[in-house]
Amino acid sequence: MTDTFVVDENGEYTVGKAQTTPEYEAEGVVNSFQNALGYWDTTLEESTDTIRGTVYSGTAMLNRLLEREGEGDIGLITNRGFEDTHRFGRGIESWVDLPYSGRLHAREHEHPEPIVPRENIRGVRSRIDHLGQEMIPLYEGEVEEAVHDLLDRDVRVICVSLVYSYQNPEHEQRVREIAEEIIDERGADVPIWLSSEQNPVRGELPRVNSLILEAYAVEPSREQLYGIRDELEAEGADAPFRVLSSSGGTVSPDHDWLVETMISGPIGGIFGGEFLADKLGIDNLVCSDVGGTSFDVGLITEGHYPTRWDQSLAQFMVNIPMTAMDTIGSGTGSFVRVDRASNRLEVGPDSAGYLVGVANEESGLDTPTVTDCTAMLGYLNPEYFLGGKIDLDVDRAREYIEDQVADPLDQDPHETARGVLDIVERNMTNELNAMILGLGYSPENYHLTSYGGGGPLHAAGYTQSLDFKDVLIPDWAAAFSAFGCATADYAYRYDRSLDLVLQPDLSNAEQVAAALTDALTDLREQAVAAFERDGIDAEEMDFVPALRMQYTGMLDDLEVTLPGDIWNGELAADDLPDVIDVYEREFARVFQRAAQSPEQGYTITMGVGTGIAPSPSPALPEEEPGDETPPEAAGRGHRDIYWDGAWHEAALWEMNDLEAGNVVEGPAVVEAPATTMLVPPGFEAPLDEHRIFHLGET
Amino acid sequence: MSKPADTSDRTERNFEQVDPPIGWDGQTLYEMLEQSERQTEETGRYCGLDELEMKAEEPFEYEQLFSQLRGALVSARETALHVSASPIVREIGELCFQVYTPEGDCVALSTGIIVHVHTGSLAIKYMIEEDYEHDRGIQPGDIFCNNDNDLGNVHTTDVHTIVPIFEDGELIAWVDGVTHQVDIGGMTRGHDQLASTTRFEDGLYATCEKIGENDKIYQDWRDRCQRSVRTPMYWDLDEKCRLAGCHMIREAIKEMVDDVGADRFKQFMREAVEEGRQTLHSRVEERLFPGTYRDSSFMPVPFEDEAWKPQAKQDMLNHLPVEVEIDADGGIEFDMEGASPPGPHAYNCAEGAMEGGLWVSLTQCLLHDGKVNDGSYLAVDTNYPEGSIVNPQDPSLSYHTSWGSLMPTYNAFWKNVSRGFFARGFREEVVTGYSETGDPLQGGGKYEVTDEYFPVSPFEHSCQGLGASAVRDGLDHGYAMWNPESDMGDVEEWELIEWGLPFLARQMKPDTAGHGKYRGGSGWEGIRMVNNSADVSLYKHVVPGVGFTTSGMSGGYPNATNYSLRAHDTDIQERFENRDPYPVGDSPSGEFDEHIDGDIRRSEKGLYFPEEYENYDLVHYQMGGGPGYGDPLDRPVEKIKEDVEEGIYTPETVESVYGVVGEFDEDDREFTVDEDATERARDRLMEERREEAVDYEEFYESERERVSEGDVSEPAQWMYEGVFDISEEWAESFRDFWELPAEFTFEE
Repeated sequence: MTDTFVVDENGEYTVGKAQTTPEYEAEGVVNSFQNALGYWDTTLEESTDTIRGTVYSGTAMLNRLLEREGEGDIGLITNRGFEDTHRFGRGIESWVDLPYSGRLHAREHEHPEPIVPRENIRGVRSRIDHLGQEMIPLYEGEVEEAVHDLLDRDVRVICVSLVYSYQNPEHEQRVREIAEEIIDERGADVPIWLSSEQNPVRGELPRVNSLILEAYAVEPSREQLYGIRDELEAEGADAPFRVLSSSGGTVSPDHDWLVETMISGPIGGIFGGEFLADKLGIDNLVCSDVGGTSFDVGLITEGHYPTRWDQSLAQFMVNIPMTAMDTIGSGTGSFVRVDRASNRLEVGPDSAGYLVGVANEESGLDTPTVTDCTAMLGYLNPEYFLGGKIDLDVDRAREYIEDQVADPLDQDPHETARGVLDIVERNMTNELNAMILGLGYSPENYHLTSYGGGGPLHAAGYTQSLDFKDVLIPDWAAAFSAFGCATADYAYRYDRSLDLVLQPDLSNAEQVAAALTDALTDLREQAVAAFERDGIDAEEMDFVPALRMQYTGMLDDLEVTLPGDIWNGELAADDLPDVIDVYEREFARVFQRAAQSPEQGYTITMGVGTGIAPSPSPALPEEEPGDETPPEAAGRGHRDIYWDGAWHEAALWEMNDLEAGNVVEGPAVVEAPATTMLVPPGFEAPLDEHRIFHLGET
Repeated sequence: MSKPADTSDRTERNFEQVDPPIGWDGQTLYEMLEQSERQTEETGRYCGLDELEMKAEEPFEYEQLFSQLRGALVSARETALHVSASPIVREIGELCFQVYTPEGDCVALSTGIIVHVHTGSLAIKYMIEEDYEHDRGIQPGDIFCNNDNDLGNVHTTDVHTIVPIFEDGELIAWVDGVTHQVDIGGMTRGHDQLASTTRFEDGLYATCEKIGENDKIYQDWRDRCQRSVRTPMYWDLDEKCRLAGCHMIREAIKEMVDDVGADRFKQFMREAVEEGRQTLHSRVEERLFPGTYRDSSFMPVPFEDEAWKPQAKQDMLNHLPVEVEIDADGGIEFDMEGASPPGPHAYNCAEGAMEGGLWVSLTQCLLHDGKVNDGSYLAVDTNYPEGSIVNPQDPSLSYHTSWGSLMPTYNAFWKNVSRGFFARGFREEVVTGYSETGDPLQGGGKYEVTDEYFPVSPFEHSCQGLGASAVRDGLDHGYAMWNPESDMGDVEEWELIEWGLPFLARQMKPDTAGHGKYRGGSGWEGIRMVNNSADVSLYKHVVPGVGFTTSGMSGGYPNATNYSLRAHDTDIQERFENRDPYPVGDSPSGEFDEHIDGDIRRSEKGLYFPEEYENYDLVHYQMGGGPGYGDPLDRPVEKIKEDVEEGIYTPETVESVYGVVGEFDEDDREFTVDEDATERARDRLMEERREEAVDYEEFYESERERVSEGDVSEPAQWMYEGVFDISEEWAESFRDFWELPAEFTFEE
């Protein structure tokens, strides 16, 4: 399905759906847009002139990779002797996407099938060393031969990735020169892509993979994106059309490299969280998303979310900068079983996903899920699940839970169902706690927001034992990730590995400062050029410079943003103590202070430059707060719910009919078509003027 | 089990006790240990637990506690990795944390080098048995360190930091963090020495030593260690990493105790261990067919021309037999009666390390989805014969490279278990074995650019070939028996550590995979060049070298043997200048020599002792493949075509082994099979088999004659002599099998 989330300047929103049209995505997008606007009694034609921006986030690129339906005919030139880098996958690719038990079970490990077959990979003798010096000259004769061979094989693009090209791109550049001459001579039309230009970051495997994925799964989408932009323009929309990137922010479909837009969908919620944090004046916010298959958590700390590299994508290691998000395989659709040998309860990691559970008789499932447990406990309205689109048969859920789970454990079925939720929610709690402690903070320092279809249902359970400052549940929780996409800034982020060593006595500070100034200035110019291409003036751009640093000898770095009082367009030697100070404070916070090791000096591994330009954003809803008592019209009667070993009569409310200022007192269940919020006994949930519930114990 | 404690001595010391006991309920730790061992011994259940009350009555709370504890261990490890420096620890994850009961039984552990589950256990039990409680003192905030293999460690370069966790004056648990050091200050550079023959050449040892108090490491300990190893910075960072992780876990456990109360936490720990024991039995009952399974591994030690020490200058062969007995109720026995005696080499292996090897193997085949802890250790009845190479009970030996005995042994174990799986119908769980992760390259040198020392011990070797199963080929280039999360690391990471030894190549190595209907996983090869360096020395030892350590299964072949290859005094600089080819591999074998001139040294031995290297010298190394399963002639031709196209086998090899004939176009990587020629070749192979085959009786008779005449190779004779010396039981069974006279020996 293609979903469209349309939000106005007051935060009012509408959601549309239409069948995805993979051959020509623009069609599905326009249909879905029309469907959404239909709820506002308007059409695209009537309202295009009011559109201030469109942000696209899709899974087409990822699906192309997962289903292995990308475009082949990719040629690769690498160092002679390193032709197998992509195929080896460092070994790690054979297990990286498996859960704990699969990682231990070596027999399950399997490498992904290489995307570029060995015959399309040509090696040329050459080597740059780790300092960026030429160790072995480029054997140009071998380059010529390689280019001819690949052209003979009818490749449509030649990727070039040489070891340590991020330190010194000259050999890669020379390969391109030679290749272009040959391509000219032969009258061919094949682009040459360099890894030192796409992402000059350490790690030859993730670097070559990122380049290959760009060619295989991403570039084929570029035409689709242009298609959508053209359709919207044809309908009269002249506002910018942008694509959400995984590092935060949106980019134009004209952007040189779109691989960063490959995995943007799930992290929309974190941008939404950042927006909330900014509007509500919150420094530290946990963004938690409960979906059908997983529980995803991102942290905004002191207004920022961290970025990570070196992640896997469909088993391939890549170095795409990505907003940090942790995932555990516990979702509402996770299967519930008892292991025969150990008589232990197991939840997940596999999931029924959209099939929901055995309560959905049409699903054909015969193993109960977490949703079956919630249905049994009275938390879900069997007639109103997904707005009534799926009928839930609670008795059926109970039979399966009793038969497959409660009886083998010799437990009461309702106690069992609650026990399952306790385990799932405890796992979520552990994940939250570990992430927060891992950053050197404690839950008391954070607010938490819960969203996704299952978030409001489980939020009380997974936050109960942690002392968050507040638990926020927007009434648009089910569409919060899409909302987040609309809040993202126009932003271009550029990374470059540097590996500069700053001596402990700062004796080479001048040299390091000059190198940093050069690198950051370069990154800034790249961002300026990108915005100019988009027709946005450099004046409007905010430049945020950051460095990734580590104590020399350590192998893991931290990203620190350079505040405005340190970076004013350049760095001088006497700025470096301030830079160190920023780093050391960050280090002491994240790690045990005992581990500080300044004795060997510091290594600046990477320069990061992000250009940000203002973009239109939705506002939060604003409503005049009224009575604490909800209006009668919002009432939906009562239903018994099971909590803490007993049944309680819970009041039922229609979420959309509640008004700002109302306080929902537990036990209560607040129902909306796409989500359900549980307010257990002893809890309450006041609804504020922005239509955000604040769930907490009374 | 650990050594029996000398109780008379302890009673005397107890008279001096002044502080209240730190064990539970007014007991000393020693009393707790004695009681738990007695109860376990008497009832066959951990601490005599009749039933798992908490698990039965509060199954959800119980599961939550376990997931919380394991979550704390995993996340402490993740965080600790960030502050750790040594390349092995960070890049390859050579780090593990474990939580133990006060008696030293492991309750839960993180991911990583999980082979250590039981080694920390032995160290803790040693401290209890030696009455550290009253003598050395065990206080909140204390820090202990052990890497003494004889008391609980795998090999010398694994270093444990052990911290007690107290609650209201009682020691409620222990936490142990272990990392693998890149250097421990032994007689030569490297983390798995080849040259040492006794403890006195192994390097720095800490014998369950108290190294700090009040959460702070003693200054004298820190100074001693940093001055005793070649890589003081890595030592320092790794120690910080272990300690920081232990303290994080201590915090997490204290929170859990605050949450559920000390009594329930104690109950939980005991039940978790007992549950681990029961789970292993249920898994064995469910998945392995009862019976007695026997197999044997061999470890060739070709030292006659290589070793430095006079006593080590002989060609040796170590016998590593494994018998596994499975009963119908899930009982499992593991017996190594007949193992060789220890020797003047670094391959001696302590019992705790062997237990770890057993455990890490069980985890990967039977326990991966259960609770993994010391319960499984308690569930297996083991015999590592005292005084043998797998349980020497002698601290004066060298244990630096105990892996040299441990890894081959568990190939035999895997094959036994695989037969049990197969007989139960779990064909897909069969693992014919693996390539041992020997050390293809070790040493170090001085990098001239910075004038600093760089260690060489790339853990690329964690990516070997895995053996085939009974339904599919083995995993290529992606397995290490000691840590299933294998990763060869990026070249761009390794060269930031091993500055003076840049890579010229890292590529597939054809013909390494064991042949079979299902082939083993493939190995690979690399070449590195000494650059900008001085005082470089490198050495190598990998198996199989001069002999196979294991075989394939059901007609499958073992993986190919390794060899060593290097070039000194080369012309490579001129080659760079003239753009002449330089070697990027040695496939097929001999190709290396075509692209380099110089002093090329090639040996079928998979080892050489430390040698000096100059700039522009080249060193080649390879990683092995896994053993195969089933008759190669049953492998479909289509699969063999893929093997050639993917560079798993050369066309020559598939013709001689599989009888598949064809033309290989290397540019297009297309192998065109000549069907007629293939049919003829396969017929010829079958014909040869018919001609060469003899019946069992005939084979037995001819072999018996050889045995009775002592017609075996010198290393084999050395092996039999040694085994006969220490195991009359095994000698008798050998004589019985070969119908030899009672006085028969191999001694001349």
